[in-house]
Amino acid sequence: MNINGVYIEDTFAEAFPMKATRLIITAMTLKSAYRAANSLTGFASSVIACGCEADIECDLDPADTPDGRPGIAVIIFAMSVKQLADQVLRRVGQSVMTTATSACFAGLRCEPSIKLGSSIRFFGDGYQIAKRIDGIRYWRIPVMHGEFVCEEKTGVANAVGGGNFLVFAKTTRHALTACEQAVKAIRRVPRAVTCFPGGIVGSGSKVGSKYKFMKASTNEAYCPTLKGRVRSSLTPEVGSVLEVVVDALDQEAIRESLRTGIETVCKFGPKKGIYGISAGNYGGKLGPYHFHLREILT
Amino acid sequence: MTPLTLTLRTRPAQEVDIGLLTPDGLQAMGRPAIEQIKLTCGNRSLRLHELFEVQGEDTSVIHIRRACDKLYGIGMAMSFGSISVQGRAGDDVGRNMRGGTIAVRGSAGHGTGRGMRGGYIEVQANTGDFLGGAEAGALEGMSEGVIIVSGDAGARVGDRMRRGIIYVRGNSGDYCGSRMKGGTILVLGQSGCYPGIGMRRGTIVFARKPAEISATFNSCGVLKMEFLRLLFRQLSNSYRKLALLRNIGPEAERFSGDLALGGKGELLVLHSAL
Repeated sequence: MNINGVYIEDTFAEAFPMKATRLIITAMTLKSAYRAANSLTGFASSVIACGCEADIECDLDPADTPDGRPGIAVIIFAMSVKQLADQVLRRVGQSVMTTATSACFAGLRCEPSIKLGSSIRFFGDGYQIAKRIDGIRYWRIPVMHGEFVCEEKTGVANAVGGGNFLVFAKTTRHALTACEQAVKAIRRVPRAVTCFPGGIVGSGSKVGSKYKFMKASTNEAYCPTLKGRVRSSLTPEVGSVLEVVVDALDQEAIRESLRTGIETVCKFGPKKGIYGISAGNYGGKLGPYHFHLREILT
Repeated sequence: MTPLTLTLRTRPAQEVDIGLLTPDGLQAMGRPAIEQIKLTCGNRSLRLHELFEVQGEDTSVIHIRRACDKLYGIGMAMSFGSISVQGRAGDDVGRNMRGGTIAVRGSAGHGTGRGMRGGYIEVQANTGDFLGGAEAGALEGMSEGVIIVSGDAGARVGDRMRRGIIYVRGNSGDYCGSRMKGGTILVLGQSGCYPGIGMRRGTIVFARKPAEISATFNSCGVLKMEFLRLLFRQLSNSYRKLALLRNIGPEAERFSGDLALGGKGELLVLHSAL
């Protein structure tokens, strides 16, 4: 299969189940909301070592936020509900509450749920006040800028993590240009995020290592500098490979993100240094979700 | 099915308890059975058809027409359905109500929404004392639900209130929110003396500074209460009658109190003009 001269490999992206929640962060200005959201989603590229994966989903108009102020929606993913609750508490407590004028609300209202304001309220040292409006409980925690308002709990969804595709290019500059455009297009897909820096992975990994203490290590089959030394998956003209990884609240959002991303990359074509598209998988042994590239693109 | 419509034939000389005439009380009853229901009027018993002209069959939607202040206990302990009242309603409208909707197209007497545990009451004109208050001897008043009064309310609005929302578009009497334990009261008109006296928790929002504030409330100064933005936005989205709250800013003078009882309650006097 070729799209605009770019070869689409007959393979699949292997994804795995995760637990996720969506939060809405508001503040007096969008700039302040961004500060909180950027801090919350910092060092959250991979569950392997960060504890969670998180990214900004979209900006929200004041009309779409609970308190009518500018807002940002973020999605946080973890491997279990317990791990998610722990990460949400740490990150909202240290990144959102500490941002001046911020407030934090649930972006998912479903069961099961995890504590949000119910845990953070203890910062109020007994001066915190609960307020129930339309069946939803909010905590008002007195802080130096006034009050930090935080919804009691947030819903947890059965999400999908690790949807991905690989871009084979002539040089890193070619790969990066195409992937940046792909990530830009994926950001318009609701319920999906790209958690790695800039949405692009420069050091895709395989499971395991020759070193026993390593859970993951470099994927040598896709390293251009190891061509000729290992059993490489790269053709001679490929000089760089980048990976785009997508996490989403459901399978459909992953499918839509992969389709949008790959189509954007393919628009560059071989003349602009893009030769092929593949996907990372572990032979179907790691995750139950298999996104076959050719099926997605037809 | 057409709504069950009860039209009052003549104004009774004495009070009539119509607490039974709710969607719960009339469930699965046919019109002949409904017409034979015994009602107490003073020291006499009357059959319902002697007092009301009965039309319709759907007991989950009840219309009471030509109502007067002698009819008390309208919607008492109801848990579903709707009751609309055309005219004045007597005391104890929606007393111990658990769900459903009551709309009074006129005034309501004392104790409206007393001991309410859920549902929605709307009064187009004025109400008497103890709106959303506690039953005699009870330690808690209204503990859930929403009451909207388009006119004025009497004294002790939300006495011992635990949760829920009371909105008074007009004025409220003295001791508004007395002994409150939680919940939210909004008064857009002038409030009487000593609001929030004895309150432990809860929020009372005033558009105008009350006539007198107790010495056991201390001012925290004029603050931008971001929480008010959330409150006004959510209420204006949920209740059409409260749409005007959307235009009110979050600046308010905050009084914390009652300091004799922990001081976790608050009076918020809005600064922006309506």
